[in-house]
Amino acid sequence: MLSIKNLQVRVEDKTILKGLNLEVKPGEVHAIMGPNGSGKSTLGYTLSGRPGYEVEGGSVTIDGADLLELEAEDRARAGLFLAFQYPVEIPGVSNMEFLKAALDAQHKAQDKEPMSSRDFLQAARAACKQVNLPAEFLKRGVNEGFSGGEKKRNEIMQMLMLQPKICILDETDSGLDIDALQVVANGVNSQRSPERSFIVVTHYQRLLDYIKPDFVHVLSDGKIVKSGDSSLALELEQQGYAWLQDQPAPAGEE
Amino acid sequence: MTNWLSSAAQRGEAIHDWLAPRRQASLRLLQESQWPTRKTEAWKYVPINVWERAELSTAVASNIEAEPIEGLNSFDIVIRDGQLQADTLAAAWPEGLQVLPLASAEAARLDWAQATFAQVKPERHLFGLVNDVLATDGLIIDVADGARIERPLRIVNIVNGGSEAHARVLVRVGSGAKVSIVEHYVGNQLSQSTGFAEYSIGTDAELEHYRFALQSGEAMHIGGSHFDLAERATLTSNLVAFGSRLSRVDMDINHKGEGAKALLNAIYLLDGKELFDLHSNIEHAVANGTSEENVRGIVADNSRAVFNGRIHIHRHAQKTLAELNNRNLLLSDRAEINTKPELEIYADDVRCAHGATVAEIDKKAMYYLQSRGIEREQAQIMLNFGFINELVDDMPNAVLAEWLRPQLRQRFAAMEVK
Ligand SMILES: Nc1ncnc2c1ncn2[C@@H]1O[C@H](COP(=O)(O)OP(=O)(O)OP(=O)(O)O)[C@@H](O)[C@H]1O
Ligand SMILES: [Mg+2]
Repeated sequence: MLSIKNLQVRVEDKTILKGLNLEVKPGEVHAIMGPNGSGKSTLGYTLSGRPGYEVEGGSVTIDGADLLELEAEDRARAGLFLAFQYPVEIPGVSNMEFLKAALDAQHKAQDKEPMSSRDFLQAARAACKQVNLPAEFLKRGVNEGFSGGEKKRNEIMQMLMLQPKICILDETDSGLDIDALQVVANGVNSQRSPERSFIVVTHYQRLLDYIKPDFVHVLSDGKIVKSGDSSLALELEQQGYAWLQDQPAPAGEE
Repeated sequence: MTNWLSSAAQRGEAIHDWLAPRRQASLRLLQESQWPTRKTEAWKYVPINVWERAELSTAVASNIEAEPIEGLNSFDIVIRDGQLQADTLAAAWPEGLQVLPLASAEAARLDWAQATFAQVKPERHLFGLVNDVLATDGLIIDVADGARIERPLRIVNIVNGGSEAHARVLVRVGSGAKVSIVEHYVGNQLSQSTGFAEYSIGTDAELEHYRFALQSGEAMHIGGSHFDLAERATLTSNLVAFGSRLSRVDMDINHKGEGAKALLNAIYLLDGKELFDLHSNIEHAVANGTSEENVRGIVADNSRAVFNGRIHIHRHAQKTLAELNNRNLLLSDRAEINTKPELEIYADDVRCAHGATVAEIDKKAMYYLQSRGIEREQAQIMLNFGFINELVDDMPNAVLAEWLRPQLRQRFAAMEVK
């Protein structure tokens, strides 16, 4: 479904991703862990088409098609969704207007009829409820003055509405209280299906107790330096990242 | 004096219509005028030399039609290449409304027209003088005291490629009368035109005014709308401008009677190499006047906007309330905005507020919207069109607002963020 080969990415004059490989098949959940500044968010931004992230080498395909040549909006329409580590505040545009525009755009791209205002409102309210956000948040400016945890829940709410095929969650668990963590995890679990895949970026084992990953990868200095099953996350929790420095790179990396 | 100015003055001298005596003062001033240079404050940012250097060719035979605005139900009067189209004056005017060609014997008999010509606009505007001297055609509109005219009057001023055109409009809104007038300018090929309108708004009268300066491309236009307000008169003026090779509008609002109220909302959207220059001047000569001015624009690519907003509160104009704000959105590093408020306040008991801002597009917000599947053009409109839309929403005539909205959106959506 998503195939990343030897991806190298530069931001301004700094090369951040230095040959990253990752295969994500339908229905799989991949967790990515790794030290601060190793390039996890850069991966998410690059995949979603953020301007300024220059691909210097490698390839990314989604269902066989070249993802990297698409505009950000077309990547979203191809089914990619990034829950931002730092969601953007947009005063002056209501959450509702934003969500409706996004949904209409994606429906249009799929040649589907636009949702009626009534159905939309109903679905939006239900999605809010599922992530424990009061429906009044639909009327507020996008993320405007939302608390850290509310912003993260708002990201998951959008994911519930947009029903993407590949969801990248960038530290959606950080800053959440214990109940909210469970709310977010339940949101994700409710969306798990044989067609939908997840890339979950996190620093904490705790989220992975709720969302059981099929694979865990360690991203360090722009590369995946170790991959394993969910037990790897436990190991990391106990030992940190330092011991990885001495490990040989996994097969497939230069 | 340069060739262009001296030729204009010579042509003016040869005109012997009923306004000829009124033109004399302007003619003398024009003869003494110098062509503006880079150092001439009033024309500082305008590449005025393109006017002088323009070689008009009548071979460009475009012929723009005056399309009606659906649902507006306006009286449409057409001035084409400076010539009033007489057939558009054949309407059955409602009681209290008189619409005459400037070049008519009836117009010559109107004392107020004699007294108004060149008296409302500022004395020394160079191209105002050119228009004073050369505009032999145009319109006279008289709204009788107490008359309330329901249907808007729309003056469609078309300038085709190759033309040099000078049109003049004089309007009297009688005391207690009410009327809505749209000055609608179009043209996009190489041409030179001046279009000045002078309004005298009577005691307790109301004028709803629009100036759509929609010339674009190579069409050069310099013009102005100028208003005298008598006691308790109300003016609501809405300016919408696209830029062109050279486009300049002056708006003067003169509070002559106490307790008058003026609102001027202006929008400009510029792209490519377009230029638009707005000079506004509010004269609070008497006490208890109110003025509010909201000027908002978007400049993209290589375009340039100039806004000079002067407010002059005279010594006896106590209790004046004057507000002026100018908000701009800059879409590219090469676009330019020259904005300058000029406040001259000689009365002590007044409230006067002003401000100017230049914002840039929030690229992070654009990306956030796009990352959810919203296309660039729409994201741009969602994020940045609100402040323009507010002024469109404020237009008293909803039909005009709805007619403009898609045109403005389209123009904005086509602009690129660089
Ligand atoms: N615009 C930029 N200019 C220069 N360096 C940048 C820029 N943006 C990101 N970087 C650098 O790229 C590196 C990777 O950043 P990234 O945000 O991908 O890290 P991360 O793995 O998500 O870290 P964290 O766990 O702290 O979220 C960091 O060293 C960061 O400072
Ligand atoms: Mg990060």
